[in-house]
Amino acid sequence: MSESYKIIDHNYDVVVMGAGGAGLRATLGTVEAGLKTACITKVFPTRSHTVAAQGGIGASLGNMSEDHWQWHMYDTVKGSDWLGDQDAIEYMCRNAVPAVHELEHYGMPFSRTEDGKIYQRPFGGHTRDHGKAPVERACAAADRTGHAMLHTLYQQCLKHKAEFFVEYIALDLIMDDDGTCRGLVAWDLDSGEMHRFNAKMVILASGGYGRAFFSCTSAHTCTGDGHGMVARAGLGLQDMEFVQFHPTGIYGSGCLITEGARGEGGYLTNSEGERFMERYAPTVKDLASRDVVSRGMSQEIRDGRGVGEHGEYIHLHLEHLGSEVLWERLPGITETAKIFAGVDATKEPIPVLPTVHYNMGGIPTNYKGEVLRPTAKDPNAIVKGLMAAGEAACVSVHGANRLGTNSLLDLVVFGRACGMHAAEVVDPKSSFKELKTTDGDEAIARFDRLRWAKGSRPTADIRLEMQRVMQGNCGVFRTAEILKEGKDKLSETAKTLPDVGVSDRSLIWNSDLVETLELENLMTCAAATMNSAEARHESRGAHAHEDYPKRDDETWMKHTIAKVDDAKGYAVDLTYRPVNNFTLTDEVSYIEPKERVY
Amino acid sequence: MKMQSDLGRVRGLGSAKSGASHWWTQRVTAMANLPLGIWFIISILAGHTANYDAVHAWLSSYFHSTMMILMIVSVAVHTTHGLQVVIEDYVHNRKAEMISLMLIKAVAAFLSVAAIVSVLRIVFAGA
Amino acid sequence: MVEFNLPANSVVKEGKSFSAPADAKNTRSFKIYRFDPDSGDNPRTDTYDIDLDKCGPMVLDALIKIKNEIDATLTFRRSCREGICGSCAMNIDGRNTLACLKPIDDIKGEVKIYPLPHMPVVKDLVPDLSQPYAQLASIEPWLKADSPTPPDGERLQSREERAQLDGLWECILCFSCSTACPSYWWNSDRFLGPAVLLQAYRWLADSRDEYTGERLDALEDPFRLYRCHTIMNCTNTCPKGLNPSLAITEIKKMIAERRA
Repeated sequence: MSESYKIIDHNYDVVVMGAGGAGLRATLGTVEAGLKTACITKVFPTRSHTVAAQGGIGASLGNMSEDHWQWHMYDTVKGSDWLGDQDAIEYMCRNAVPAVHELEHYGMPFSRTEDGKIYQRPFGGHTRDHGKAPVERACAAADRTGHAMLHTLYQQCLKHKAEFFVEYIALDLIMDDDGTCRGLVAWDLDSGEMHRFNAKMVILASGGYGRAFFSCTSAHTCTGDGHGMVARAGLGLQDMEFVQFHPTGIYGSGCLITEGARGEGGYLTNSEGERFMERYAPTVKDLASRDVVSRGMSQEIRDGRGVGEHGEYIHLHLEHLGSEVLWERLPGITETAKIFAGVDATKEPIPVLPTVHYNMGGIPTNYKGEVLRPTAKDPNAIVKGLMAAGEAACVSVHGANRLGTNSLLDLVVFGRACGMHAAEVVDPKSSFKELKTTDGDEAIARFDRLRWAKGSRPTADIRLEMQRVMQGNCGVFRTAEILKEGKDKLSETAKTLPDVGVSDRSLIWNSDLVETLELENLMTCAAATMNSAEARHESRGAHAHEDYPKRDDETWMKHTIAKVDDAKGYAVDLTYRPVNNFTLTDEVSYIEPKERVY
Repeated sequence: MKMQSDLGRVRGLGSAKSGASHWWTQRVTAMANLPLGIWFIISILAGHTANYDAVHAWLSSYFHSTMMILMIVSVAVHTTHGLQVVIEDYVHNRKAEMISLMLIKAVAAFLSVAAIVSVLRIVFAGA
Repeated sequence: MVEFNLPANSVVKEGKSFSAPADAKNTRSFKIYRFDPDSGDNPRTDTYDIDLDKCGPMVLDALIKIKNEIDATLTFRRSCREGICGSCAMNIDGRNTLACLKPIDDIKGEVKIYPLPHMPVVKDLVPDLSQPYAQLASIEPWLKADSPTPPDGERLQSREERAQLDGLWECILCFSCSTACPSYWWNSDRFLGPAVLLQAYRWLADSRDEYTGERLDALEDPFRLYRCHTIMNCTNTCPKGLNPSLAITEIKKMIAERRA
């Protein structure tokens, strides 16, 4: 079988999978350090989903008003509902300021203040002095910050002559018998050839899996490919039950309206015209963290105060800001509202709905980026030769709920950390261990099986069913019953995957097959999410469980580790790992859990 | 079969570090052709080109002969520049391109010099 | 010499038709260019009748509907579906644009969809864009400055200086403009094209960049820059409302200025 595929072998010190913010920053770091690096990506780098980030990147520059990284750290810990690992959070918030300055030095076109510094705007959950009032912390390039950042990082990679393998679909990791990662197998869409990358270090920066849900702000390409590869390598996924719903996805299309819109003064109203967030978060109102706002909105809709014919959405008001402010600071979303909601945001409110936006969970790593293989004996044991960063990873800095602007920050800080750590542990002078001829056979066998799949259910059919189950049974509000039902339904859907039918048999740009490979990855993520959620009997951050409405630190102050076995109908095995209750340095002490009020 | 890298191909022979004067001259001659053209049309309407004698008399004038020579030069330069662009745009055989470029320049040079000599003959014959 | 003949195998033939379900009331035909790289057959156009009542508002929604429900072999690039990633650029109803931003209702009658013009086609609506990508790399699109950066702060840039970048940095590299430019069609190997020249100007306009002279040197070339004949197709077609033509004029002005 595998003889029929043309296989091309490569040797690289480092192979980075994904060319979004984290992948490019990691690539840049390893190239600068003199490591021979291949960046493998399924889309041209500037098309990665980082490009769609809007509002800003969080850093306590203090350009607009007093700010400190310790305040940023406090907000992040509180935002995470104390599930975040505080050593990693300290690392991120401390390194935020130099990271943003570094981006500026790379040429990123930040908006500016009157005195020529980087412009900052308020954002949900970011506060002055431990929750006293909102603070301007989001460093912004109008409302296209991700676009500015991704293009800047790609430009730097060009400058440093990084090697890209564009439109290559990574299939699976190559793992040693002793559990070391040795590289990966990828399929070149353009030529149809198979490539085996032998690497001393693999860095996964493959992004999130928003497309496991029916309605999401994520791109079509956010399919959790790295998650799937890790799971098939027998490794666990962490905290997958925590899925962030962004309060302001456009009703219908799901396109994102940045939280920066509320940062600039926008607010939400219900059908009675009431600014209802004043009830849910008296201090910071519309700028509470996303889980709080999303839950407030859903509550209003459930209580019959939604706007629209069927009371199914909420209004976001920006018209009072004036068209000048909108066109200068929020031009992108003003345009998006026009195109996707048919609304002139300078004159009328935008219909919005909480929409799946971000996956706090992912591949467990420590703050250096090393992937963890937690065991009962050593919850922080690492996988040799494998690192992860960005949305694909769960460091965990976002815990149970991510603050807006912390994702772009996560990308650059931990992308950079991966680069630095790879430079430390990979010796470019050491020779390559040869791969066995059979390495990668399983990956190609999986590929071949799906390529010739003659089942009765088209990929899109199974995918839609999975997405509907996830949307309906793993949404903003969760109950034991809904989750139990979701678990069963999802398991039924997963069991039909062997009956998938692919109609394109080509090796060249076979996007039908790409979507089928992606579907297996999505199913892995969906199974981990649903099962982890069903098991967590508490409410924390984005995981709001109606039967267990309180946070339960005694029992549940721990990370979920989900191992998914695709060979057994996507059966999920759950174990747990303690939250790191220590900081990185003595300069800041562990922030003790308390009730989370905004 | 092209096996050269994309970057190698698009970098090609590098920048010619020219083209600005061609572009600029084309715009300058275009602007010059405007007043010159108006002068020429007025002259025709005024009957200066009605017959041989009228033309002779017209071009004997220092002003009109100067204007005529300026127009010949300006139109010739503008035309060759314009034609050059057209040829560069559409003729992709390097040899054919070179030959046609030289040809239009030679023709333009011959015609314009011939025209100027004719004007000068009238001017100096009348002096 | 001038090429008057089409290359072999390039004549587009009529392909298959797929009709809408019988109960569909609001149908629309989508005529889509198909090319199968494996068969070696000529390209064809397949026609799909779609029930618009069961389809999203954008052309991309229709393409995805076709792929999901009618013909899974239909191949096109897509990602963000909100006009920021630049993947789904194609020729719709005779105009280069992003499928995700193009409302079906804007088009009268049959919706004709072709790949970006004058690019090698890999498959169906997927063009090979490696040349414009290489051209982008060739202009060295990164900040070049020799002055030391502030050790613990940003480079300063006034709001007016920053405003010079507006309308430039927003480019999403979809190459709708370059592939709409006749000059780029005829000389794409040597003319940089509007998208890449817009990027070139983005760095010329950046007050932080210190290599303006070198950048202009590299651009001053009868083909790289001056193949632009101000046809303005680029500006007309840009799905993001940018003005590459103006940027190119600004470059020409800068070069003229340093000569005077």
